[in-house]
Formats: sequence, C-alpha cells, structure tokens
Amino acid sequence: MSLAAEAFVSQIAAVEPWPENATLYQPLKDDQILLSDHASSLAVQAYLRMCTLPVQVACRANAEYMSPSGKVPFIHVGNQVVSELGPIVQFTKAKGHSLSDGLNEVQKAEMKAYMELVNSMLLTAELYILWCDENTAKQITVPRYSTPYPWPLNHILAYQKQWEVKRKMKAIGWAGKTIDQVYEDVSQCCQALSQRLGTQPYFFNKQPTELDALVFGHLFTILTTELTSDALAERVKNYSNLLSFCQRIEKNYFGDNDSSSIVGRISPFS
Amino acid sequence: MLKFCPKKCFRVTIDAKNNMAAAMELYCWKGDWDLPSVDPDCLTVLAYARFSGAPLKVHKITNPWKSPTGSLPALKTKDDGCISQPHKMIIHFRKQKYNADYDLSAKEGADTLAFICLMEEKFLPALIYTLWVDSKNYVDVTRRWYAENIPFPLNFFLPNRMHSSFLDRLRLIKGDNGLEPGEEAEKELYKDALECMTLLSQRLGNQTFFFGQSPSSLDAHVFGLLAPLLKMKLPSNKLQQHLKSLDNLCHFCTNILTLYFPPEGADGPSRKASSPHGGDNSEFDNEPHKRRNQILSVFVALGAMLSYAFLTGIVSVHRVDSHHAVQKTEAVRIGEDEINGED
Repeated sequence: MSLAAEAFVSQIAAVEPWPENATLYQPLKDDQILLSDHASSLAVQAYLRMCTLPVQVACRANAEYMSPSGKVPFIHVGNQVVSELGPIVQFTKAKGHSLSDGLNEVQKAEMKAYMELVNSMLLTAELYILWCDENTAKQITVPRYSTPYPWPLNHILAYQKQWEVKRKMKAIGWAGKTIDQVYEDVSQCCQALSQRLGTQPYFFNKQPTELDALVFGHLFTILTTELTSDALAERVKNYSNLLSFCQRIEKNYFGDNDSSSIVGRISPFS
Repeated sequence: MLKFCPKKCFRVTIDAKNNMAAAMELYCWKGDWDLPSVDPDCLTVLAYARFSGAPLKVHKITNPWKSPTGSLPALKTKDDGCISQPHKMIIHFRKQKYNADYDLSAKEGADTLAFICLMEEKFLPALIYTLWVDSKNYVDVTRRWYAENIPFPLNFFLPNRMHSSFLDRLRLIKGDNGLEPGEEAEKELYKDALECMTLLSQRLGNQTFFFGQSPSSLDAHVFGLLAPLLKMKLPSNKLQQHLKSLDNLCHFCTNILTLYFPPEGADGPSRKASSPHGGDNSEFDNEPHKRRNQILSVFVALGAMLSYAFLTGIVSVHRVDSHHAVQKTEAVRIGEDEINGED
C-alpha cells in the first residue's frame, strides 16, 4: 500500500466507525489456499478477533489479483481496502483499536523485532518449502495454486509464481540452502519464540498483541496442515509452551460459536 | 578503558596460545572515513572478532578478485575452507570457542535473533538504497570511492556490476514495482529505516551495549550497519540526519570505534600479538605488483609503438646482401636513412 494512500486512509478511517459488514478476502479454503497465505490470513483474523472487530471471511479464487498489493489476505471495510497484517494494524489503530498501546517503548521495539523475525524466518521458510522443495511443489503447491485456471493458464501461472519465488530466494541468499538447513532455521526461530514466551500466557504477559496474532497464525497453520512430510510440524511440536500458546488463543478467540470454522477452514492438503 | 581490562588480558592469553596455530585469515575491504572497513558486512565480522577476541590475520584489500572466494568479505579457515557469508563466519568463530554471546541468557539470545532480523528487513534495504541507488550519493561518493580504490582495470566495471547487483536485490526484496521512479519506493524504504533506527535507539536506552556492559553479536551487527552511515560524507543525507539525531546510537558507534578500533599505531599489546602484519602486510603485498605493473606497462607501450611504426611503414627494414650492395646502392641508402631516422 502506497504511503499517500496510507495517509489518506488513516485520515478517513479516523472518522468512520468499524462497520458491521467488514469482509476479509482470501483464496478458496478447500482446494486453493496455500500454507503461507493461510497463515497470513489466520493471523489477520486472530488480530481482528483480539480487537473484537467483526469480520466476515469471503473466499475468492482470484483474491490474489483483487488485493491492492497482490498479497492476501485483504480486508474491505466501508469503502477502503487494506492488505496484509502491518497496514491492517495501522488501519485499525487509526480507528481507535489497538492492542499495543499498553506497552512501553522498549517493549514496542521488541514486538516489532519479533514480528520481523517471524516474517523473515517462518514465512520465508514456508515459501521455500512450498515452492523450492521439488516434491512439495509438484504434489501440493502447483496443483493447488492452479486449481481455478484452465489449461494452459494453470501451468503458466504456477510456473511464473515459482520462478518469482525462486528469484526472491536467490536475492536473500536462501537459494543455496538445503531443505534440512531450512528446517534448522525454523527450529531456531521457534526456539527464540519459545524462550521469549517462557511461561507467560502471551508474549507481553496478560494482554495479546499483534505479535501473538502473527505467531498464532503461522504456528497453528503449520501444526494443522498436512504436507508431504511432517518434518515442519515436528519442529514446532518440540516446544510445548508454543503448543499450549496456540491452544490458548484458539480456545479464547476461536472457541465460541464457530469453533468448527477454524478447523474446517484448515483443510489438510491431501 | 580500564573496565575492559579483564577481557583484554584474556584476549592476550588466547592470542599467545594461538600464535603457533595459523590464525584465521580475513579478507575485507579497506577502511576510510575513520572506519576500519567501508563495507557493512566486513565491519560486522571485524567487530565480532574484536568482541570475541578471535585471532585474525586481516588483509585489507581493494581488489575482490584477490580474495579466495572472489568476493569480500572472505574468511580463510583451516578446516572449513573459505566462508563468504558474515553469519557463517560468526558461527565459525563460535565453533572455535570465540563467543561474544557467551554471557547472554536464552531470552537475550532470542532478542538478538529478532533484532538482527529487524535490521535486515527494515534497515538494510534503505542503506543499500542510499549508498547504491540514490543517484547523488552513488555518483559522488560510492562509485567514486570504489573507482578510485579498486585497481585498474577492474575499476571500470566492478563498481557498475556491484551497483546492478544491489539494484536487482532491492527490486526482488521490495517486489516488482520498479525502483527507478524513486519517489514512492524511496519514501517507503526510508520510512521503515527511520522507524527501525528509532526502535533500536529505544531498545538501547542509555546502556553502553545492547545487553549491558559487554558487547555481543547484536552489537556487532548494529555497529556494522550504522557506522558507515554515520561516518561517510553523503550529499543526500536523510537517513544520516535521522541517525545523528539519535544521540545514544551515535555514541554507541563512536564508542565501539574508539574502544575496539583505536587508530593505527596507538594499539594495545593484544593487537600486536594477534595481527603483527595486519596493516603492513597489505601494503607489502601491493609493492611488488606496483613495480611489475610499471615495467609491464612500459613494455606494452613500447611494443605498441614499435608495431605501429612497422605496420604503417614509418620504419622499414630491407635486408641487403653484400654482393648486391654495389648494384643496389640506392635502396641501401634509403634503408640506412630510415634506420638512422629511427634512432
């Protein structure tokens, strides 16, 4: 989202209350959405639930192309469209809903740093496994990604996406990594998160923040998604406090009337 | 200085012990603007080595083709071959028991990882942008420095190649919207970077180092990325101004520079023990090459002049047999004239 648009949105946003019909768009949940997109989408949903802002989830095959930044998920609130967790957090803040107001300066800095840790290690590892691991790409990622498109568009778009991800991996120095090194990075990231969390209910003690939403989105998705091997989930399962952290957020924020929705939404890739 | 004494003494003993075993060799860009090296990656590794007391033989060079990996920095080790990525070098130091993070708690270790990610995601792209893409800085400072310091003839194409590889990297990191229009992309990068510096400043507070009294790998990373921005003289200096307004970060950088990288000559005994030929060596290396290059260039120039003279016929050599000398007096005379003319 561009800066000018962002400034505009936050000005407008301040005056209008949160509408009832806010909608979150994501790809089709049963046979299209990928692990990484699902994680991001779940993080946004968790964040909005923590803020007690109602949102309906709508699945669209072309969600990626509807989004202003080309990334899913995005929310449609009143007459504004905002994509990705970072801008959405700012957007809700402009409307007067914030989870991190109670933190002091140092804690805010730490929260931002840990959010970058999740984005740069967990998210990148997910993308690597989805697109750069030949087995996973062939059996899961490419067929799912190209479901809505007819031949030959399905091959072209999937190939294009894979090429894009691979180039990005090259730019950040991940291209030379083996799959084991990537799992090792995931372990390292989980270990850092686990140590930071310790025995607290949330990362910054009693109150959840956007960091909790982000971590929950990724870890819960990794734990509940079936890939070609369960090595990724196994890495997360080594940390018992992270597991109970996920269960806690699931129970507190997704446990009410539609507990089925979260389980149902996460369709195992089979 | 006094309070760091125990660490220094410790370093001296380690150095003495390792003097026998060949030390690791680090190839890095040479320094300028009062920095031990101009390159952020090199600075990070140098700082970490100083913090942990790892014995290093440092080659400060300006020709990346002379490094064993073809890029800088490069660490030549005994058992792991050559390493070119800074974080792998730090892991290698750690394996050799030179660990600057030894005293950190598990939670502090986690914080280290998180803040390094924060810097790499939010600050590094803007630093690359301001040094290599911003046209004023690139033309006046970055390209100029590399063009003046990289030896001929590499200086004609290496700076451009570095420029385009950095540009590609930025494009890929920031998605496919081109960087050329500048405005929008630049503002976004700078906004992230300014926020990142503010966060670091808040995290540092009024401590000497990020985790109290002794420096760790996070300090090395922050120093490596911030020190060039602080010390270089950039004409387009939006990032620089913001950094200079954050007093504790500036003080943090200058503090590390004075404590761990004292100006050459005024060094403590530890440095002499660890790298007696560090600085001199590189100049020593350069000297014979300089002489060789001079001689070579004279020969090349002479050869070119002579071959031009022969090819265009300014000088021509006629072979004259002694029997025919009488018959061909004219030809001989012309030949002689021309040979004399050459002299």
